[in-house]
Amino acid sequence: MSPVVLQALVATAVLLPLATAAALALGGWFGARLGERAVSIAVGVTYATTTLVAAVAAVAGFVGGEPIVVDFGEWFAVGHYAFRWTLLGDGLSLPFSVFAAALVGLIGAFSQRYLHREAGYFRFHLMLALFGAGVQVVVLSGGIDQLFFGWELVGLTSALLIAFFHERPKPVEHGLRAFITYRVCDVGLLGAAVWLHHAVGTAAFVRAEGTPWAGVRVPDAGAAWVAGLLLLWASMGKSAQAPLGGWLPRAFEGPTPSSAIFYGAISIHLGPYLLLRSAPLLDAHPGFAALVAVVGGVTALHGAFVGRVQTDIKCVLAYASMTQVGLILVGIGCGLRHLAVLHIVGHALVRSLEILRSPSLLQDYRHLEQAIGRQVPRPKLALERFFPAALRPWLYRHALERGYFDAILRDHVVGRFLRAFRALDRFDRKLTGWFGGASSSEVRR
Amino acid sequence: MIHLLPLAAAVAVAGASVVVARADDARVARFRAVVALLGVAGLLALANALVAVAGVAHAPVPLFGLSCEAACADWHAAAPFVYLLVGLLAAALAPAASHPPRTLGDLLRLVAVSLAFVAFDTALPLFVLWGLSVGLLARGLGRVDASLRRAFLRYQVPGLAFAAVGTGLLAAGRAAEGTVCWLVAIFSREAIAPFHGWLPFVAGRAPLGLLAAFVGPQLGVHAHLALVADALPHTAAHAFAWAGGATAVLGAAIGLVQTDARAAIAWIVVSQTGFVAFGLENASDVGRTGAVLTWQVSAIAVTGFLMAAAALEARRGALSLREPGGSFARTPRMATAFLFLGFASVGLPLTLGFVAEDLLVQGSVDEFPALVFGLLLATALNGINVLRCFFTLFSGKRDHLGEQDLGVRERVALTLAMAVLLLGGVFPRAFVPPPARAAAGHTAPSGQQH
Repeated sequence: MSPVVLQALVATAVLLPLATAAALALGGWFGARLGERAVSIAVGVTYATTTLVAAVAAVAGFVGGEPIVVDFGEWFAVGHYAFRWTLLGDGLSLPFSVFAAALVGLIGAFSQRYLHREAGYFRFHLMLALFGAGVQVVVLSGGIDQLFFGWELVGLTSALLIAFFHERPKPVEHGLRAFITYRVCDVGLLGAAVWLHHAVGTAAFVRAEGTPWAGVRVPDAGAAWVAGLLLLWASMGKSAQAPLGGWLPRAFEGPTPSSAIFYGAISIHLGPYLLLRSAPLLDAHPGFAALVAVVGGVTALHGAFVGRVQTDIKCVLAYASMTQVGLILVGIGCGLRHLAVLHIVGHALVRSLEILRSPSLLQDYRHLEQAIGRQVPRPKLALERFFPAALRPWLYRHALERGYFDAILRDHVVGRFLRAFRALDRFDRKLTGWFGGASSSEVRR
Repeated sequence: MIHLLPLAAAVAVAGASVVVARADDARVARFRAVVALLGVAGLLALANALVAVAGVAHAPVPLFGLSCEAACADWHAAAPFVYLLVGLLAAALAPAASHPPRTLGDLLRLVAVSLAFVAFDTALPLFVLWGLSVGLLARGLGRVDASLRRAFLRYQVPGLAFAAVGTGLLAAGRAAEGTVCWLVAIFSREAIAPFHGWLPFVAGRAPLGLLAAFVGPQLGVHAHLALVADALPHTAAHAFAWAGGATAVLGAAIGLVQTDARAAIAWIVVSQTGFVAFGLENASDVGRTGAVLTWQVSAIAVTGFLMAAAALEARRGALSLREPGGSFARTPRMATAFLFLGFASVGLPLTLGFVAEDLLVQGSVDEFPALVFGLLLATALNGINVLRCFFTLFSGKRDHLGEQDLGVRERVALTLAMAVLLLGGVFPRAFVPPPARAAAGHTAPSGQQH
């Protein structure tokens, strides 16, 4: 297949979802009355086509053995700085692109019935289309600058879908909490892009000798650590790694299909994807690779313990997701990158299926018990038996309190910052009152 | 150099302000204001196109012995249109209850002053127009509450005094001292720390349309580019850049703990002006281009954001952030515009705001590596503040007061603003000023340049 055709396929995989999301958004703004069927067909056709073109590009790229690079040229430029739009279809991005598009399409089809006659049907599908477009931008981008675009779209749509049932205060609260985590951690991604420009002159992905896919360019030792830590920080937020993962179980307040695709399948795995693109940094600095493995290991243990004491299925699944993503990070840190890719795909498929089935859990249990003629046996002690009896109560309490991470973050990090900001605000009001000649009650109003 | 087309537009808008102020009813006045601003924008675009086709856009035109040219060029070519859009947003979404005809007349006069400001690039006319705009807002505030006017003037009068001294010093050929005086005046006008206190205070009760017409155009930026840029000593420029950066972080941090939507948005405005002030003191062309673009983007986005809040307030009453206040389903377009413009003002990807902040940050990292990470954090906090306001104002409650969604007039103005920001985000090359242009074509007479 000619390179031009391959480039067109990769470009279509990004532009088509973006165009559909834009068309739906414009239609909504200008008051076009799109029925459920029309919206579902638009999303379904878009992602079926995207899956197809990405699959063809993946197969052709695999046969050809060369990455497919689509260079749209300079988007804007000033002086020495230019922002180029480049897409990269290689052994890492194309499989991700295919399975992400296929899952978005499947979730769209599933939601057609699941959200039938739901007031926010159009809003859900618009967010889903925008999310799918964001994911395609993340996985097919040729550098961190462009990846950030998709990354932000994924974060925003995630928060808005958690708050989908907007008339209840809790989903809204949880949506904001997820967004706060995303946003604070996104500083790492944008900071890494800026830092890489500063240190090596580019944030584009380049392929080094002997590496399976392109990754970030490695700066000198100190600068590499800065870039690495920023990228790890960004990954930790998106992938709910300890101690930042408290938002994940709360994020399941959104509609089940969006929970499945965001927190079971795709969004949660974008952190590991970013770290896979950072593989040259991990290879050059084993200490950094070890740090990634430690973060993953701690999260996996935390998720495994906390998940065992949860009393509702969505929290169990949330902590199970967290555990698996932690293990994926361990794999990446230990250099098992191909295994990590397989782990991501396998976990995404299984977990999203589990989440989609979760509302029917009681019914499934009833069917199972009818089939076996007795109650489903309770799981035996598995992980716990490896710990001394004296430690078990402590572990149990640790698990019940979700590792105290939420409380520590709330009271000792966020709380302290907010108290400091409030003190600044009070001081500022006093200063304004004094200088502006306003009374204290006027300033406080 | 005097630019004739923006001056003509200013005269036209000032003329329209008389007709608007004489209307018997606030709604009639608002309709006249919107029509006048749309008409002037259309005529200005047509005139710009004609002089460009005729090839006389930047040809020198001697008029009464003054050096003149038809259209603006370089970094302020887009400014008249930005100011007209700011005026349109402010007028179209101004609540009738808080904007009687006289207030709307003052709003148009503020737009006219902004347009005239672009026409000049020397200190004396800029100082006169500066004082005029301060007087107009003070008059409008005085109609609401004398304490508002008093607080506003206590911050602005010293700023005006610095501008007067700076004008005198520049005329006397003492460029370094003159530019520092002007910079202090600019900081006072633009609400840069420690001169920022007036903005959140005034925003608490001022008619938001009038305030937006004063704050949105950020005339201090134009004064900076025309009088100050490249004339400051390196260390002074660094100090002022740090003040701008600190304001950006301070505004973002304090905005997060506000319990009133007006105050929260006012702190986002303070933060954004801090970004611009920081970028203008950059030595790099990239950073300064980013600052110029951030100025133009935030003029549109912040005004739209503020006015969407004003429109909501007119329907619902005071906008508290203490508890969830509304239902998205009742006012979907207003909610969408509020969210989009809020995020555009803090650099959401696919809007022109992202391009502006990307240039600002990328251009600053070599000179201010530590401060850049503070700015990134400020951007993150501002984004959180925008979503917090959105969620609190448009969700969390099932019942509602029966408030109406955007009307046609409001929708047209907001659609225009959103279209500019979105098109600029998708096709930024047409909107990014070239570096040589952004980096002040009007350098002060002498002084050690940074």
